[in-house]
Amino acid sequence: MWHHLKIFGLFVKIGLMRQMAYRPHFFMMVAGKIIRIGLLFFFFQAVFLKVDRIGQWTFDQVLLLFATFHMVDFVMSITFQRNLSFHLPRLIQSGELDSRMILPANLLFFSSFEGVDLMDFFSFLPSLGFLGYVFYRIGFHFSWYQVTAYVVLLINALVLLFAMVLMISTVSFWTTQSYGMARIFDNLLKIGRYPLDIFWGFWKIVFVYFLPLVLVAQIPTQALLQTPSLKLIFFAFGVTFVFLILSLRFWKAGLKNYLSAST
Amino acid sequence: MRAIRAQNLSKTYSFYEKEKGIKGSLRGLFRRRKVLVEAVKEIDLDIGVGEVVGFIGPNGAGKTTTLKMLSGILYPSGGQLEVLGFIPFKREKAFLKNITLVSGQRSRLFWDLPAEDYLSFLKVVYEIPEDVYRQNLQSLVRLAEIGEILRVPQRKLSVGQRRRCELVAALIHDPKVIFLDEPTNAIDLMNARKIRQFIKERGKEGRYCIVLTSHHMADIEQVCERLIIINRGRIVYDGRTQDLTRLNGLNKQMRAVLQDPFAVEHVGRLGKIIEKNGQEILLEVEPHRAASVASELLANFSVKDISIMDPPLEKIIESIYEGRRPG
Repeated sequence: MWHHLKIFGLFVKIGLMRQMAYRPHFFMMVAGKIIRIGLLFFFFQAVFLKVDRIGQWTFDQVLLLFATFHMVDFVMSITFQRNLSFHLPRLIQSGELDSRMILPANLLFFSSFEGVDLMDFFSFLPSLGFLGYVFYRIGFHFSWYQVTAYVVLLINALVLLFAMVLMISTVSFWTTQSYGMARIFDNLLKIGRYPLDIFWGFWKIVFVYFLPLVLVAQIPTQALLQTPSLKLIFFAFGVTFVFLILSLRFWKAGLKNYLSAST
Repeated sequence: MRAIRAQNLSKTYSFYEKEKGIKGSLRGLFRRRKVLVEAVKEIDLDIGVGEVVGFIGPNGAGKTTTLKMLSGILYPSGGQLEVLGFIPFKREKAFLKNITLVSGQRSRLFWDLPAEDYLSFLKVVYEIPEDVYRQNLQSLVRLAEIGEILRVPQRKLSVGQRRRCELVAALIHDPKVIFLDEPTNAIDLMNARKIRQFIKERGKEGRYCIVLTSHHMADIEQVCERLIIINRGRIVYDGRTQDLTRLNGLNKQMRAVLQDPFAVEHVGRLGKIIEKNGQEILLEVEPHRAASVASELLANFSVKDISIMDPPLEKIIESIYEGRRPG
């Protein structure tokens, strides 16, 4: 564990060193991130001025759901998603995965966190700031149980997303391309930022049980707003556990099928 | 001590054939034909620690596939395989810490950063103690002559310089089994010589098992005592490199420089002229006639210089493919 934490620290350091190897690019990146923070702020201000209520959810609740989703999505995108969805298929296609396979570290860990860009953490600040603002509007009247359940369910959501992204990227071992599926997943994932009340019948069943995007932000948000039942928490853990086991099996089968590339 | 043992090791690749052109591509979206290719067919290997083995064969013979199975990258389709007592495909930490693979075609160094940064990264990944790391780094940098380029970003280096950095990176953790896949490929003579010398020095220590594939016969002749030749996925020769020169029916080569340019035509009756350049000729003669042809040349012609050589390794390999065996 300590070994892999040290490697993760190195990934972050190397990412930063790479950015700094091209100084003009480094400063432009910083400027870009600041602009993105500003735009995000203005976007939410505009929404706040024009919209009062969406469906059964009050505006503050929708904002909390949106902020929660944005945070989970952001953590996922700067850590394992870009590595598994885009970098790994490239490594498989070019055969460059070979050089990672002979290193004495967990290959899945390597493939998931190799490209970590410290600069991206700048963009994390407005997400956190926005979440803080929503908490301020709601009034911070949560119990410890609710807050703990919220944090635990957020971590659970990240593990679930990790399993889903891993399953999709593992397809590359057979097809050497999984960009199409990664893009579809990316678009489907966006559904997770809307209240589930906008769906009914067949689609509601799909997004709760088969592609449980409801677990990404809605269940954590609900856990924070109302005291969550143990049944709900166990349901979330159970689904994540099943997806994780399936994705790891898929990964192992994928490795067995790895063909490398001719030199 | 045994380093590598393989029995009936096989690898079959399966892929989908694609028809040419846009029509073929469209058709391929709905109907594809699966093709199976047997890259390695039931080969046996037994290589000990301290051996430097050349592993050669024509393109597509199965060399790289075999090395990738030995290093745990590819999952064998059949047979048994052990490297240092480990099953490579399980890729256990203790196994990975004791092997390395250098591919002459691909670089794993950080393109934008100097080799030194990649080496520091490997120090953490391989959990090398600081003092051991310093010691290894010092000796390898000296051996590979990369002291002056250690802090230069990889993108600023020549292919040969990068390859030498790559070798240092591959050996920084002091692996017992070293797989080198065409390490001198596409680099200039001087860098190739340095790399050859590097491998030779490493091999001399007797603590390592080195398996080297190459298209350059000089690599094999100068570095490897044992040679394994693979063709169409099967091993066709496994023995001492020097024994290859005693192949049944393989002709010797005789190079002679004559005083008289007109005599060259007459020399043709002594053997087959395979090269002619002014007064210099290269003859091919049967091994049992080599001594008598040399005497005849010296007796009947005014010879400035003469030498008898074994056939080049390329020729020997060609003859093995044709089915000849060492005598």
